[in-house]
Amino acid sequence: MSAVTKFTARYKADNADLALSEWDSFNAEHTQVPDWVSALRKRGFDKVIQQGLPTTKLERFKYFNLPAYLKKNELIYAKADIVLDGFTEYVRVLPEALNDLSEELKSTIILSPVGEDKYGDMMLWDTANAYFNDGVILDVPADKSVDKPLNITITGHGNTATTTRNIIRIGDHSEVTIVEYHISSNVSWHNNVTQILLGKGARLKHYRIQENNKNSAYTGNTHVQIGQNAYYEAFTLTKGSALSRNQVHVELQGAGAECFVNGINMISGKQQGDTTITVEHQAPNCISKQNYRSVMDGQAVCTFQGKVHVHEIAQKTDGYQLSNTLLLSPTATMNTKPELEIYADDVKCSHGATAGNLDKEALFYLQSRGIPEAEARALLIKAFLEEVIEQITDEAVREQVELIAEKWLILRTGDNDGEGWL
Amino acid sequence: MIKIKNLHAEIDGTEILKGLDLEIGAGEVHAVMGPNGAGKSTLSYVLAGRDGYEVTEGSAELDGVNILDMDPDERAAAGLFLAFQYPVEIPGVQMTTFLKTALNAVRKARGEDELDAIGLLKLMKSKCKELGISDEMMKRAVNVGFSGGEKKRNEVLQMAMLEPKFAVLDETDSGLDIDALKVVADGVNALRSEGRSFLVITHYQRLLDYIKPDHVHVLAKGKIVKSGSADLALELEKNGYADIVGEAA
Ligand SMILES: Nc1ncnc2c1ncn2[C@@H]1O[C@H](COP(=O)(O)OP(=O)(O)OP(=O)(O)O)[C@@H](O)[C@H]1O
Ligand SMILES: [Mg+2]
Repeated sequence: MSAVTKFTARYKADNADLALSEWDSFNAEHTQVPDWVSALRKRGFDKVIQQGLPTTKLERFKYFNLPAYLKKNELIYAKADIVLDGFTEYVRVLPEALNDLSEELKSTIILSPVGEDKYGDMMLWDTANAYFNDGVILDVPADKSVDKPLNITITGHGNTATTTRNIIRIGDHSEVTIVEYHISSNVSWHNNVTQILLGKGARLKHYRIQENNKNSAYTGNTHVQIGQNAYYEAFTLTKGSALSRNQVHVELQGAGAECFVNGINMISGKQQGDTTITVEHQAPNCISKQNYRSVMDGQAVCTFQGKVHVHEIAQKTDGYQLSNTLLLSPTATMNTKPELEIYADDVKCSHGATAGNLDKEALFYLQSRGIPEAEARALLIKAFLEEVIEQITDEAVREQVELIAEKWLILRTGDNDGEGWL
Repeated sequence: MIKIKNLHAEIDGTEILKGLDLEIGAGEVHAVMGPNGAGKSTLSYVLAGRDGYEVTEGSAELDGVNILDMDPDERAAAGLFLAFQYPVEIPGVQMTTFLKTALNAVRKARGEDELDAIGLLKLMKSKCKELGISDEMMKRAVNVGFSGGEKKRNEVLQMAMLEPKFAVLDETDSGLDIDALKVVADGVNALRSEGRSFLVITHYQRLLDYIKPDHVHVLAKGKIVKSGSADLALELEKNGYADIVGEAA
C-alpha cells in the first residue's frame, strides 16, 4: 500500500509559461549561488515545463484555480520583501546563507517531497524551486528555550510575483515561537515553501497571520516533520487575498509526537480560501488535531480538505479533524472533504464538518435585550470563532488574532470590497 | 401606558391572535392565563418583535408610541422586556459580556452614560445576590448548562439590570421549585414601582399569591375572553377554562 494516494494527473503543461515567463531574467539576475542551487532551480524549471501549474483537474486542486488568476493578472518577478524582528539569533537570510549550508540542511532542501514525487501535484513546490533564492533559515541548536518570538513579515508589492523558501530546524528539547505576517498591497502572487524539522522533545508554535490585499494571490506549502515527543502548534488566520491556499503536510515521525493544526478563515466578497491538510501518523502514540472555523460572506468560497493517514505502525493514534463553517450569505460556498485513511487497528480517530447560518433564536434573544442587530451578529460570530482562537497557547498572539477578528466583524458591514479577480 | 388594540397576528399564514385588546396602566400588574396553545407566548413574541410573526391588523402602544414598527432592540431601548418561556442558550458568549453589552446598548439608546467594567460588576453582583444566583454562573456562556430554574432566574436578573418600563413574564414560574418561586417573585416585587408595569403569563395561581395582580385576563383562541380582579384566578383554578372558553366560542 503506498503511503499517499498518487493522483493520476492530466497535465496541462501549456500553462507552464504562466509560471515561467519571468524565469530567464530571474536566473540571469541571481547568479551568485552555489552549483547545487542552480541545479535545483533548473530541476524545478524542467518539472514545471513538463507538468505546468496545478489545474482544477487535480483532485487536491479541484477548487483552486491559480492559472486563471495568473492569466488575468500580469505579474513581474520581484525579490521578496522580508523583514525580521524579535528573536533573530539563529536566523540566517537567503540567498547569502546558501554558501556555507550544512550538508544536512542542504539535503533537506534538495530531497524535498517533490524530489520523491510522492504526490504528483506538487507543482507549486517545483515552481518555488525554479525561483529558489529568497527566504530565511532558522536553525536552533538543542536545549534552547526562547520566550521572544521570531516575527517574519513578508510584503508583496503591486504586480509582483515573489517566492520564499523558509527552513526551520528546532534542535532537541528546544522551544521556539514563530509569527508570520503576510501583507501585500495589491495584485500580486506570493508562493511560499516552508520546511520544518523538529528534533526530539522540541516545541514549535507556528502562527501565520495572512492579511494580504484582497486582490492578491497567496500559496503556502508547509511541510513538517515531527520527532519523538515533539510538539507542533500551528494556527493560520486567513483574511486576505482573492485566492489563497494553505497547504500543510505533517509527518509525525517519532513516538509521542503531537500536532495541532488550527485556523480560522474570515472571507467575503469574491475571495477564495483553500485549506488542504494531510497528517501522516508514522509512529505510535501520536496525537493530531485539526480544527478549522470559517466565516464567509458575499460570494466567498472556502475549501477544507483534511486528511488523517494512520500507518500500520502507528498504534494508539489519537487523530481528530473538524471543520465548522458559518455562512453569512446564501451565496457563499463551503467545500469540505474530510478523509480518514487508517491502517492500524488500535486507534482513536474522528472527523466532522458542519456548515450553517447564524442561530436566529440566539440573534433574537440578544436583540430583545437591546443589542442592535449588527452588534448581536458580531457577538455570535466572535463566539463561533473564539472556540478555535482560544486554543492559541501564546497569549500575545491570541490577543492579536482576537483583535483582527473583532476588526473584521466591525468593518464587515458594507465591506464587500473584495473585488475578486474573476 | 400599554395599549394593545385589535391585535391580529399570523404565523406562516395561520392567524393566532384574532383581535386582542388589552390596556395596562402605569404601575399595574396584569396576569394573563389561558389554555395551552391559546396564543399567550405568541402575544409576548409579537410584542418583542420576533421574526416570522406578522401583524396584520391593530397596534400596540407603549407610552403612546406604536412599538410594532420597531426592531427588537429598539423596543428594548424603549422600555420593553420579555422574560422568555424558553430562554435561549448561546454558546461562546459569556454572561458577563452579554449583560455588559446589553446594558450599555440600552443605556446608550436611552441617552444615559455607559457603565464601565467595575460599575457593571458591582451592579451584577448585587442583583445576583438578591436573586440567589452564584457569581460563578456569570462566567459561563448564556444559559448554557443552566438548569430550568436557573434559566428562569437568569431572565429575572436581566430584567433587574435593564430596568424596563414594561415587562412581560412568560411562564417565569414554570420549572421553579417552591423556594425559587419565592425568590423570583420577591425579585419581581422589588422592581414593582409606579412607573413600571407587568404582564405576567402563568398557568398557576401560586405565583399570583406572591405577585398580586391588579387584573387577571383569560386569553383563549387569540383573544381576551374574560377579565376580572385577582379573584378570577382563584375561580379558574377551581373550575378550569371550559365554561369561559365555551361562552366565548
Ligand atoms: N412557528 C409556528 N408555526 C405554526 N404554528 C405555530 C407556530 N408557533 C406557534 N404556533 C401555534 O400558535 C398557537 C399559539 O401558541 P403559543 O405558543 O402562543 O401558545 P401559548 O398560549 O403560549 O401556550 P402554552 O400555554 O402551551 O405555552 C399554537 O396553536 C401553536 O401551535
Ligand atoms: Mg406559551
